[in-house]
Formats: sequence, structure tokens, C-alpha cells
Amino acid sequence: MADIQYQAPEDLAAASALLAGAGGKARILAGGTDLLVQMKFDVVEPTLLIDIKNIAETRTIAEEDGGFRVGAAVPGAELGEDAALAAAWPGVVEAAELIGSTQVQGRASLGGNLCNASPAADSVPAMIAAGAVARVIGPDGQRDVAVEDIATGPGKTSLASGEIVASIFLPKRPANSGDAYLRFIPRTEMDIAVVGVGISLSLDGDGVCTAARVGLGAVAPTALLVDAAADALIGSKLDEAAMDNLAAAVSAACSPIDDKRGTVEFRTDIAGVLARRVASIAFTRAGK
Amino acid sequence: MMDQIAEQISLIGQRIPKPDGAAKVLGRTQYINDMVLHRMLIGKILRTDRVHARILRLDISKAAALPGVHAVITGDDTPMIGIGVNKDNPPLKSGTVRCIRDEIAAVAAETEAIADQALALIEVEYEDLPAVFDPAEALEDSAPQLHEDKPGNVGLSYNISYGDIAAGEAESDVVLDETYDLHYVTHCCMGPGCVLAEFDAMGKLTIYSQTQYPYNFKMDLAPTLGIHPGDIRVIQPPVGGAFGSKLDVYPFEPICAFLAQKTRRPVKLVFSREEEFIASPTRQPVRAHIRAGAKKDGTLTFRDVNCLLNNGGYTSWGATVPYVMMRTFSGHFRVPNVEFKSTAVYTNNPFAGSFRGYGNVQATYVTATLMDKMAEAVGMNPIAFRLKNAQEPGEVTPQGSLLKDCALADCITIAAEKTDFLKIYAANAKVETGRYRRGIGIATSLHNAGGAKIHKSDGCGTILTMDDYARVTLITGASEIGQGIDAVITQIVAEELGVPMASITIVNDDSAIGPWDVGVHASRTTFIAGNGARRAAIKAKAQILAAASKEANVPAEEMELRGGHVVQSDNGVSIIRLDRLLRAMHFAGEDAELVMVTDYYEPPSEPEGDNHYGDMSAAYAHAAYVAEVEVDTMTGHVRVEKMTVVQDVGRVVNGLGIEGQIEGGIAMSIGYGLTEDLRIEKGIVKNPSFRDYKVATAPEMPEIAYHFIENDTPEGPFGAKGIAELPAIVPAPAIANAVYNAIGVRFDNPPITPEKVARALHGGQDGGDQ
Ligand SMILES: Cc1cc2nc3c(=O)[nH]c(=O)nc-3n(C[C@H](O)[C@H](O)[C@H](O)COP(=O)(O)OP(=O)(O)OC[C@H]3O[C@@H](n4cnc5c(N)ncnc54)[C@H](O)[C@@H]3O)c2cc1C
Repeated sequence: MADIQYQAPEDLAAASALLAGAGGKARILAGGTDLLVQMKFDVVEPTLLIDIKNIAETRTIAEEDGGFRVGAAVPGAELGEDAALAAAWPGVVEAAELIGSTQVQGRASLGGNLCNASPAADSVPAMIAAGAVARVIGPDGQRDVAVEDIATGPGKTSLASGEIVASIFLPKRPANSGDAYLRFIPRTEMDIAVVGVGISLSLDGDGVCTAARVGLGAVAPTALLVDAAADALIGSKLDEAAMDNLAAAVSAACSPIDDKRGTVEFRTDIAGVLARRVASIAFTRAGK
Repeated sequence: MMDQIAEQISLIGQRIPKPDGAAKVLGRTQYINDMVLHRMLIGKILRTDRVHARILRLDISKAAALPGVHAVITGDDTPMIGIGVNKDNPPLKSGTVRCIRDEIAAVAAETEAIADQALALIEVEYEDLPAVFDPAEALEDSAPQLHEDKPGNVGLSYNISYGDIAAGEAESDVVLDETYDLHYVTHCCMGPGCVLAEFDAMGKLTIYSQTQYPYNFKMDLAPTLGIHPGDIRVIQPPVGGAFGSKLDVYPFEPICAFLAQKTRRPVKLVFSREEEFIASPTRQPVRAHIRAGAKKDGTLTFRDVNCLLNNGGYTSWGATVPYVMMRTFSGHFRVPNVEFKSTAVYTNNPFAGSFRGYGNVQATYVTATLMDKMAEAVGMNPIAFRLKNAQEPGEVTPQGSLLKDCALADCITIAAEKTDFLKIYAANAKVETGRYRRGIGIATSLHNAGGAKIHKSDGCGTILTMDDYARVTLITGASEIGQGIDAVITQIVAEELGVPMASITIVNDDSAIGPWDVGVHASRTTFIAGNGARRAAIKAKAQILAAASKEANVPAEEMELRGGHVVQSDNGVSIIRLDRLLRAMHFAGEDAELVMVTDYYEPPSEPEGDNHYGDMSAAYAHAAYVAEVEVDTMTGHVRVEKMTVVQDVGRVVNGLGIEGQIEGGIAMSIGYGLTEDLRIEKGIVKNPSFRDYKVATAPEMPEIAYHFIENDTPEGPFGAKGIAELPAIVPAPAIANAVYNAIGVRFDNPPITPEKVARALHGGQDGGDQ
């Protein structure tokens, strides 16, 4: 392992300048729960670590336009402690809290989960379902990017040189809305998703689904937004036929690989199974 | 005025914390990994990345030239003298590599980083050779041959034949023909492989080792090093787990010694976790084909078993597990006609070692699920069918195991009663709808519980000394590898000598001090070393009471040791304080004596003779475990909710220790049955990390109910039997039987993963057997 410099700037512009200046040899350090493991196994060999945890914007949760702006480096444990956030977006918070163990929760962030760009990242399908938007700060200023457009492949993002995700915006919810996230893992805890499904939906006064978004993880090179699956729900009361269509649409969207975590067949099958359960949890939440 | 010393509550059966526990919890334990010796270097091994290849060129010059590197060695520098059961595994390979873990070079350097750099500078060129990974294919004439002196790739064979299979088959009303595929798992010791070697200026080796058999370890290590076994001193710092994985010499140990020899400096070599998964032994995978029969009334008629073992590239203890498997097939339940054949076949896979349960994990997975299948085939319930075939006390198995105090029927009956088995079993089987289905299943097994005479001696030496303050030093040959022998021996000695447990120090970490012991294996240590400690304490007591008798003029038979005093047996009145007596004995001029006794305990058992016949253990024990599971029919996830343990333990010595052993065994067996799978594809280990190799974790643990059968086995220390392996053997097939009760599907290919269950339920290939 080569010598490594460590910097902890206090504002985003400085962090971005450091990142841009290092010509690809620098890495952003949020919780480090992915990064440090990757460094230990020489998967990445940065010469500069830029710790963003001293930057206020990345560490705070603030209400904004009826929604929430969540700092990219806020650890999972703090998300769960924010009652208003947990009430508005229980699915996103649950997904974030599934990450790792109590110890990992003290560090692991939404920004890290997103920018690490693992197809199996738990919070990402939930954020996609929520219609979350990442605020990206770079040398050329600021831009807002839909969460589903951040990852471009395993370990790869659309972030340009010097760009940092500062925060993630979870929009205001219409009345009668709910979201949920479930993953399938072979064990009970501390495991990597074989499939993950996040669904957010809104109902009208009669309990008919008026809007829905379905996010799908671990079954393709990146987490996916599956419009066909959302279409299966919209206009229905989530009756059996709608659920069948949802499961079929979700399974059809899967293009997983056969690997040690599961075969194509199983992952495709289980994605449909999970989607039904997630939809019914979100539906119940929306009705409350 | 003499004190009256109250009679003490017996320590046997109390809940005694492990004496080494506090230091481990506080992080103060010094493992080999933590040790630093003056002038110490760090050793690292270069392993091949081929499964079968000829080494064309191995250039170490750049590595050797790197500053900070003190030695680079290859097979050209070290003798081609093999280690392991078949002596087929030279520590450093030259010429040919046969599996992915093969060691081809090693370096000693000033730091780990330099050692890593040096490894990267070694250049190797290969010519790949045709490889074979399946044992059946490896037996074919056209198969690549692995070892010149092992034609046909046959590593080891074990066969027995008792009775007449054809006659048994002729009288059968039902014959089942089943094939099981039992997979690779590995020990997953928290402490990875580690060794530290140092030669003194006179050429004698001190090796700090994780070994669980220090005395024969010297014998096995010496030839490949070309030194005399007597010139090896084995020191055993605390280990982070062993479970059988340290019952042989493995290449990294002599390699580390070679590096120390060459550099004349201490060298430490520590495995990475990845290396631990790839280059430590596995459990022996077995393909078992069994034909077995029964009469309509449930009487078993025959078992005809053929096992094919994937030996991998070299031979360690894994290939010898049929030795234990055959005892289960022939001796578990009354089976008049038995044939067992096994062949371990060389392939280009990594190889297996000994692992807690030692073949009985595999044999019991087969027999315990087969008993259920057979019960169903003859139309009996699983309990009645087992009771029908359970042996009575005093019966002898075909291989000659005398089941003196056989508690098999008791185990089954109690397990059925405590769980209301038959009622729940019948109710579960009726449920055919609903997302979650519940199942209950029973499994039983038999294991040696009084040592196992597989070597010329199954003994253990003990030395007991007492100082002028009545402090006891108990030196035993038996190693502590986390199983808790320190606590058990302390209890036994304190019980006999009437001294506080805190006054006893156990010494068992240095082969230059300790007397011989065969090693920690075969559930033997409490039984053998416990007996040794007890016999030594009894001898010390006799010496003390004889001296007290002289001193106080009271007949020795009328005194006993209690609370640190010699007391009168009838009224407990103190005759003399023990430390005072010991000083009086010590400073008695011409008659001076110290309490210093020795014992070598050899259990009354016999080695196997022809046809593997022999009463090889001084006691045998049975267990019946009942698993209650819930199967999620949508995801295929199996959750073990409760495990009811009924085990013949002879006598509980340490209540905490026994529960700890059983809990750990259950965790291991849940892993075997449900989650753990070391995936070796075309010779390559695909999941060498805890992320991808799924051990059972705390949330997977079920509620456990314990029911111990305590009949005081005559030869055991205070009646105790060895208990440690059955908990790792019996749960998995109980779970498999419970899964069948829940969903009507059999899995003869553990682990029973969600994927296999889901496929069996939702269709698709490669599920269970409907
Ligand atoms: C024991 C263990 C268990 C785990 N279990 C799970 C699990 O169940 N589910 C799951 O999804 N993950 C799991 N993980 C992975 C990891 O914890 C999560 O992905 C976590 O959310 C990463 O967040 P972090 O803050 O630690 O990221 P870091 O490790 O700090 O960063 C991850 C990557 O993203 C980059 N990055 C971080 N923040 C930013 C930013 N604001 N802008 C641009 N780039 C950024 C970093 O440079 C790095 O490349 C586990 C990890 C461990 C060690």
C-alpha cells in the first residue's frame, strides 16, 4: 500500500477542488464502510482520502419544500432517529437501516451506498422508488441528478471528475402515500441482497393507486427503475391481477448473473415474490 | 480449639466459567498472531494459481534482491519429503502443482508489506496439465493421474463386511436405494492459521503452534525438516479455534521452519482470511450410495453403502473419515447385515482434513434421513420405527462396540415426549397450504465417548505438584483449544483435593514440560485427561493423608480433604491445615517429601483388528435431537425455531461448558444443513470470504432445550462421557427431516438453501427429491 494523504475540508468547494486536483487518485471518504474494505483488499489504491464528514451540508437532515434534504454522509443510525423522516419515508429509512450491523450503522451513509455503485446496495432501490434526487457539487457548480442515473455499472458512476454528492432530496409526499423496501438474503441479518425491491405509491380517496415507482436491486448491473412494474399497479387497488402483473413485470426486468449468491432463475423468481410483498406493505402504509 | 469445616457442595455439575474467558473478552489474550520476538521476520507463501500444471520456470531472483528480504525458498531448496496421511504432500512443491492451494515458494522479510512485494516479484511459467475434479471421473482409465505412485488415483480405501447382504435383502419387504451428495464446508476458525518458528544456536527448533496434537506433531513434522523429533519443542499459545483443523501438519508449518532455519531468525507466518478459506483443510465431501432394507414390521435387514470421497490433491485426515462413518452405518441401530466400501480418489481440488464429527456428520446425515424415509416406506412413525431398531444396553455392534450403557431408546423416548413429537408431526404433515409451513424432525446418532484407540495408545499423561502454600500445578498433556478442558480439570482436581479452584494452575502449553497425550480429537479430552487428572489427584491425596496420619496419629481412612484442611471424616473437624501439613512434609529433614505425582491413563479399549473389528472406545454415547422449523414457501427460507437436545452425557461436569459445546455444535450443524457451502468449481474456491461463505450467525440460532441423560458411565471421570462432537453431528439431519415434515421434500444434497427449497416448490431443476 502506497502512502496515503488524508484531508478533511470544511466546505464542498474545497473538497471538490481537492478531488478534481488529484486526477483520479483521490477518493471521497464518507463512512468508509465500503472504501476501507476495498483499500484493504487493494481493489482501490487512492493516494488521497477526502473526508467529507466535516462538511455541514453532508451531515444534516433538513426539511425543504415539504420534503427532506438528507446529507450524503449522514450515518444510517441518525436516519432512523429522525422521527419525521422515518414517518414520511419509512421504506427508505428501513432500507438504510438494513445495511450491515449496529457498528456499520454508525458510519454507513446513503451517499456512500449510492456512490459505491454496487448493484446490491440496499438503500438505492428504495431511493429510486422514492423519486430521490442527488445534489451533485462539482468544479462547474451544482446539478441535481435522479438517483437512478448515478450508477452506470458495478462500481461505476456518472459523476464527473471532481464531483461529489452533497445531499439527497426526498420529495414531499402527497396524502395517502406509502413506501417499503424488502430484500432477500439467505441468512437473517448481515448479508448481501440476492434481490431487493423498493416500492412507493400513492392512493386516491377510494384506495386506487394513482402513482407508483418500483426500484429493483441486485438483478442487473445497476439498480433499476421499472416503469412497467409501476404501470401494473397504477389504476388498481392492488388486487390479485395487478399483483400478478407486477410480479411478471419485475421478473421480466431482471437480467441478473448466475453467481455465488444465486442463479438467474432463482433471483428472477424471488424478485416477483418480493415485489408482491413490498407492494402490499406500501399499500397498507398508504392507507393509514 | 479446632475448626469444623463444612462439607462442600460438589463441584461436579456446577456452572464454571472458562478460566481463559475473561482475558479473551478483555482482549488481553496473546495469540501467536500477536507475538513479536526479537529479530523476528514475517513469512509469506506464494501459492499457485493453477489447478494442475507443470512448473516450467520459477524465477525468484528479483524477489531475493528486494531490500528487506532475507530469504526466498522454493521446492528446490527443501526436501521432497511429504507430510500428511499418505506422505504425499511435500511442503513446497517442485515440478508439478496439483491444486489451487499448492505452495511453490516462500519469503521471509522484515515487514509484511515487503514480503507481499517480494511474492509479487516471483515469476512463474507453467504448462497446464489436464485436470480432473470429480472423483468418479478421476477413477476412469483415461483420467489424468495425480501421483505417480498412486495408479488410478486411489488414495485410500476402507471396507467392511458383516453378515450377508443378499440374505438381508431377500428377507426385506422394503428396499431403498438412495444417493447423497455431501458438500464441502470448512472450519471457519476465528483465528486464522498462524505459526512462529525459531531455531536456537544449537539447531533445535521451538515452534509456536496452533496444533491440537503437540506430541505426535513433532513426530510428523521432523522427517520433512530432516531433524530429530526430540529436537522440536512445541509451544501452544491460545488458539482462535481448531475444530479438527489442527490435527495434522500442514505445509505452512514446515515452510515457516525452513525460513527460520535459513535466516537464523524467528519467522512468523499468518494466513489472511482468504488464505484460510483456500489453504486450510475442509470437511470431507462424500458421495454416498446406500441400499438398505427393512421388514414390514420395521426390523432393519441390511445396509449396503458405497462412498466415493473427493480426496483432492493430497491426503490429510479427511480421507480417513470412513473409519468413523462405518461405525455409524454398522452400529447405529441394530443392523444384522452390513457392507461398507469407500474410496478416496485424488482430484485437482483442495483437500480435506479432520473436522469435528469426523465422518459422522456425513454418515448421520445419511442414516438419520434414511431412517425417516424407511419409516415412511414401511408405514411406521419415525419414533416407533427407531425404537423398534434401537439396541439395548449390553448389545455389541457388528464391529465390536460394546454398548454397555446404551441410552438410545431413552434418548428417543424422552425427545418424543418433551416435544410432543408425534402429535405435532402428524398435524404439520396435514398442512398443505399457507405461506409458512412448520415441520418437526428427529435425528439420532452414536459416537465414541471414551476416547478412540486409533493410535497405539489413546493415553494422556498428568503430573501434579503442590507447593508449600497448597497451590496445585496440574500439568496435563491435553491441549486447550477452546473446548474448556482447563475448567473441567480444575473442577476435578479441586473436587478430589478439597482446595479452591483458584488455587489450581493448569500447565498444558509446552511439549518440553507436558507428558504425552495423543491429542484433542474424538470427543476424548474430558474423558481421558479428566480421568488422568482425577487419578493423579487421588494419588496426591493418598500421599497427603498418609503424611497426615503420621503427623496426627489418625488412620488415613478416617480423614479426608476439605476446604484446604485435612479433616476427620465423621465430624468434619480440622486436623491440620493443608498448607501447614505440606510444609511439614517438605521440611521434614531426612523424611522430607514433596507432593509430586504422575499418572499415565490408558483407557480400557482396543485397536481395531481385521474387518475393522474392535471395542475401540471405553464408552459410547447416543443423542436424539429434535428440530422444529418454519419454511417460507415463497422464498424457500428455512428458519430453525427450536432444537431439543437429548444427549447421553454420562454425567455433566461443567454445566456452562457442556451448553457452550452444544450451542457451538448446533451453530456449526445449522451451517452444514442450511447455509454453509464452500464452493469449489473446477478446483477453484469461489467464495473465500465471510461475505460469501455463510456461517450461521446469532440470529440463526434457535431456542435450545437441554435434557441430559446422566447414568454415570463406569469408566468415566465422575461418570462423564465425551460429548463434544454429537452436537455438531445430529442437528442438520434433524432439520432436514423437519423440512420434509413441513413441505414434503427431501434434500439429499445439503445445504438446504432457500434457492433449493424454492426450486423444489416452484419448479425448476436441481431442487430436492419430491
Ligand atoms: C460488515 C458490512 C456489512 C455491510 N452490509 C451492507 C448491507 O447489508 N447492505 C448494503 O447495501 N451495503 C452493506 N455494506 C456496504 C456499505 O456499508 C454500504 O454501501 C454503505 O452505505 C457505504 O457507505 P459509507 O458512508 O461507508 O461509504 P464509503 O465507504 O465512505 O464510500 C463508498 C464509496 O462511495 C464514494 N463516496 C462516498 N460518499 C460519496 C459522496 N458523497 N460523493 C461521491 N462519492 C462518494 C467513496 O469514495 C467510495 O468509493 C456493508 C459493509 C460492511 C463492512
